[in-house]
Amino acid sequence: MNDRVITALGNGGSPLINDRLFKAIGKPLERKEDLRLITGKGRFTDDFTFANQSWAWLVRSPYPHARIVGIDKTAALAMPGVLGVFTGADCLADGLKAIQHNPVPSTKYDVKLRGPDDTPVFAGRHFLLPVDKARYVGEALAIVIAETRDQASAAAEAVEVEYEELPWVADSQEAIKPDAPRLWDDLPSNVLVDATFGNVEETDRAFASAAHVVTFRQHVGRVTGMGLEPRAALGHYEADRDAYTLYAGSGGAVRQKKELSEVLGVDQKNIRVLSFDVGGNFGTRNRLYVESGLVLWASKKVGRPVKFRAERSESFLTDYQGRDLVTEVSLAIDKNGKFLAMRADNLSNVGSVLVSLSPLGKGSGLITGNYDIPLATLRARAVFSNTMATQAYRSSGRPEVTYAIERVVDKAARQLGIDRVELRRRNLVKREQMPYVNAVGSTYDSGEYEINMDALIQLGDFAGAEARRAEAKARGKLLGIGFVNYVESSIGTPKERVDLIVREKSVEVVIGTQPAGQGHETSFAQVTADVLNVPFENVFITMGDTDVVTAGGGTHSGRSMRHASTVIVMAAEELVALGRRMTAHLFDLPLDQVVYDDGVFRNIADETAWTWFDVAAKAATTDLPPELRGGLRVRCDNEMHTPVFPNGACMCEIEIDPETGSLEIKRYATIDDVGRCINPLIVHGQTHGGIAQGVGQAMWEGCHIDPASGQPLVGSLMDYGMPRFDNLPTFRNEIAEVLSPTNPFGVKAGGEGGTTGALAVIMSAVEDALLPVCGPIEMDMPATPLKVWTALQAAKAAPRKVKSEVTACP
Amino acid sequence: MPLIAMRVNGEEVEREAPDHTLLAFFLREQLGMTGTHVGCDTSQCGCCVVRIDGESVKSCTTLAVQAQGRSVTTIEGLAEGEALHPIQKAFRRMHALQCGYCTPGMMMSAVDLIERHGKPLTPDEVREGMEGNLCRCTGYHNIVKAIVVASEEMYAGGLKAETP
Repeated sequence: MNDRVITALGNGGSPLINDRLFKAIGKPLERKEDLRLITGKGRFTDDFTFANQSWAWLVRSPYPHARIVGIDKTAALAMPGVLGVFTGADCLADGLKAIQHNPVPSTKYDVKLRGPDDTPVFAGRHFLLPVDKARYVGEALAIVIAETRDQASAAAEAVEVEYEELPWVADSQEAIKPDAPRLWDDLPSNVLVDATFGNVEETDRAFASAAHVVTFRQHVGRVTGMGLEPRAALGHYEADRDAYTLYAGSGGAVRQKKELSEVLGVDQKNIRVLSFDVGGNFGTRNRLYVESGLVLWASKKVGRPVKFRAERSESFLTDYQGRDLVTEVSLAIDKNGKFLAMRADNLSNVGSVLVSLSPLGKGSGLITGNYDIPLATLRARAVFSNTMATQAYRSSGRPEVTYAIERVVDKAARQLGIDRVELRRRNLVKREQMPYVNAVGSTYDSGEYEINMDALIQLGDFAGAEARRAEAKARGKLLGIGFVNYVESSIGTPKERVDLIVREKSVEVVIGTQPAGQGHETSFAQVTADVLNVPFENVFITMGDTDVVTAGGGTHSGRSMRHASTVIVMAAEELVALGRRMTAHLFDLPLDQVVYDDGVFRNIADETAWTWFDVAAKAATTDLPPELRGGLRVRCDNEMHTPVFPNGACMCEIEIDPETGSLEIKRYATIDDVGRCINPLIVHGQTHGGIAQGVGQAMWEGCHIDPASGQPLVGSLMDYGMPRFDNLPTFRNEIAEVLSPTNPFGVKAGGEGGTTGALAVIMSAVEDALLPVCGPIEMDMPATPLKVWTALQAAKAAPRKVKSEVTACP
Repeated sequence: MPLIAMRVNGEEVEREAPDHTLLAFFLREQLGMTGTHVGCDTSQCGCCVVRIDGESVKSCTTLAVQAQGRSVTTIEGLAEGEALHPIQKAFRRMHALQCGYCTPGMMMSAVDLIERHGKPLTPDEVREGMEGNLCRCTGYHNIVKAIVVASEEMYAGGLKAETP
């Protein structure tokens, strides 16, 4: 319902971009990838099989922290069907290297995260199998290869690992203490990042003179990606060619190939990585997993292809996890409700080894949110702990900081007695201020925040909310209303390459992104079709095979549409130049007599015209000179660093049953400025799914660890709360297209916005619902019925008078 | 190893397989029909739903021998040749799939739900009836729309309610 698109016309930026001539761009075209997926012909990793393949099973640590005293393979090697058992010592003996994750965000627009006292960041050493210690529950310590999966599993039980249990720490606020158990001897503590940004002195001065100071502190908990396809990897080493082939779904095969070559000590040309359909990624599959290296190495050891397929319980333990940030923010506000300055202190739990600082770094540049706050300081810290490593997860870092700023603004509104929409309005960055440099140095490219907010108020019928609250009250229910603005950033790997190849009846686009449901085969074809003026049906996208895709940055951080559309239009301009030369040659014309005009090459002398496909057909049957012998084929590389800042606003209404604490989302509305929207069907779908993942974290999801034993308590879908059919509402969404000036099409991004505001808006609604009974409480996510019921019972036991509190600073 | 025989999408098949072989892996690994997926191992997600004699079952927790002599329909058998089933058309038109991993089980469950319901479904009825299937990509919004539309088309096309 209400899947409306507010369209804006742009100025293009390339002679090949003309809004009025678009036939495919902006249309809700059905996806090209769907036919295979709805008929059971998808190509997911475990769908690939070699006739003589063997199976892998991992021996995993049952302890959060333990020294590996010894591993005895004898009994396992004697088990039926076993082809090999390999440990970390074997990896070392074969010279395997640790994975180089390149974990510190390093474009010039990323904040510069450093170690304590401005030292380089220490990442730990991520070997395929460790030799010294197990550092988290589930860490692979040995791999067993057998004829069947059952045999490998049985033999893994017979591998005897002797452990010396060590003290452990899982919680970041414990891990940061000086006397906490230490994971890595290389560091004096578990702290691997401690960096401060912004103008500390001026911020202190602003706080000292402020009329009000409001502070909010919370832990944004840990969740897991839960893509429905369990991780899998199929490795095949062919000795006769000295060639390694890996089938493994990921966020980008090119990156996997590079990192595998470093780990295995093998030239990149000897490795081929294939990643076709991927059953959910959300960031968790962007970084290399140890199993991908292990199946290749083990395939060489046993002389057979080796397949690994995770159980769901293994995915819960060993998929890279998300979030886990403790955040404290303070706002200094003047007597008129204008924000003067902000302080933030963010503590990220990276787990046992550093895989990515994206969750900490991506949020750091956005701490001031959509608001014009002249001064800000941020202390950003990261610690190791005895938990699975964290990585970017859906809208990495942005939901966390949005949560912090939006919750503290809600709290300020309550304390100052100012309407929360009005307080936001007074402080929003204005359209005239764009491009706007925020207090920590991020340049917001474009956006119409107040227009978004007003459009949302209409879309969600904010004016009718109080009547709905009264109606719910009459039924004995508590209705809460949440309201949030958000701005996020899309940076991502700056380089992308495309090959455009025109044949007699088709255009092939070879590109290095890697979707997991985002519809690149469709949206990239829409762009290509319109810039070349060829039918959408005749454009085909090739991705995921490193023997064809030679370079490319993969898919993450909302980068793909922006990078792809830019490099495609650049390549198309080169292709037009080549097409003119080709036409001139084929039809024996002087070059200046051939003009290109929106899909046709024309002889200006007699108005004869040839389409792309005419030229390609003629070229295919002509003996061409060397400079044209490749046919209508160009390769284009682009490097684009400037980030964009998608933004929007969302509201929701949640009804609470005070007798049971149960919660029901009654209404959920969003406005999302994604820049140019190439395919609204796909963009709305991204928003829906993004909302669900954010709502999931706010209401149900959590990778809980038992504080007594360090054991993860979540191992299956029976104990991990998921968004389901019957706990989500039908959404109301509108797309706002404020074109970004940073790239030819004006694309921002559409994949993360749904998630970015969702955590904050749910908790805003929950606390608003409870306000009349419980007063202004702050509840940790997820807001489970138990927590809500407990809060209501506590309020009943000790009724409190609710009033607007105003905190004045001394 | 027992000889397991059944009809799959109208074709008689038989394979020797260990007696603990699950139907999902019999289909995937013995028959090479990889359209049926396994997402969770614990009957929670519904990626593995197929129909046995018209009844939807979670094939990751059904033994292959339980389908002995019976008729199994999988996602590969949903379309009639080139002609897509109304649920397939609706999923495509409504963008009710993103990564596509849950989609086969989602559609097999939906067809069973629609056929059993006796009349077109409302969105609330879909949300309740599909409770045994999970999707991580779509937030369910478009899946609900697709199943409602497919149910309307199937009943308009002459589908009769099954007598229980």
